[in-house]
Amino acid sequence: MFGAFRPTNSLSGGLLWKIPWRLSKFQKQRQRKRLRAVDTVVATVDKALAKHGITTKAVERWKEEMPCEQEMVPKDKYTIFDRKEKKYRKGIHKLPKWTRLSQRVNPPGY
Amino acid sequence: MSFFRITLTRSGIGLPKRTQGVLKALGLRTRMKTVFYPVTPEVAGQIMRVKELVTVMEVDKALTKEELRAERRPEPGFWVEKAVPR
Repeated sequence: MFGAFRPTNSLSGGLLWKIPWRLSKFQKQRQRKRLRAVDTVVATVDKALAKHGITTKAVERWKEEMPCEQEMVPKDKYTIFDRKEKKYRKGIHKLPKWTRLSQRVNPPGY
Repeated sequence: MSFFRITLTRSGIGLPKRTQGVLKALGLRTRMKTVFYPVTPEVAGQIMRVKELVTVMEVDKALTKEELRAERRPEPGFWVEKAVPR
């Protein structure tokens, strides 16, 4: 039970990674903040270009395809589609570099 | 003539080479580096490639290196008072 050779999870099983299956409320809050920051950048660029009466394909495509933070459902904000997962969803923090990527839309119906 | 004021707030380390190349092309070497570019579709496209990493503002004139430095300088904390002429 006690001592140097007690059977802990990491000693008996070897490698033990403890990544929680969902985000904490603080991680979710920061995720929303990041989403809004990207929305702000796109809005600023769009407004500046509109003053000169020009448009760019990248901005137009973003506005057409990507929902803004307020339009997104919580499911899409904090989870991501994965075909190998039970119920086809896993936490967005399992996505590598997830804090510096724009992952907003998922397959329809999932 | 208006300018984009672009500041790198998130590092590009570990991101694809194309993304890091855009940062290099914009002259954003380290975090909190600020650069100014005129409002053109080309620059807008570059910003869209790195939109998760930068903060962007639209300003009327581009600041020089010295002006940016003066902007960051804190208040000195003292005032030199002069005698009022009577």
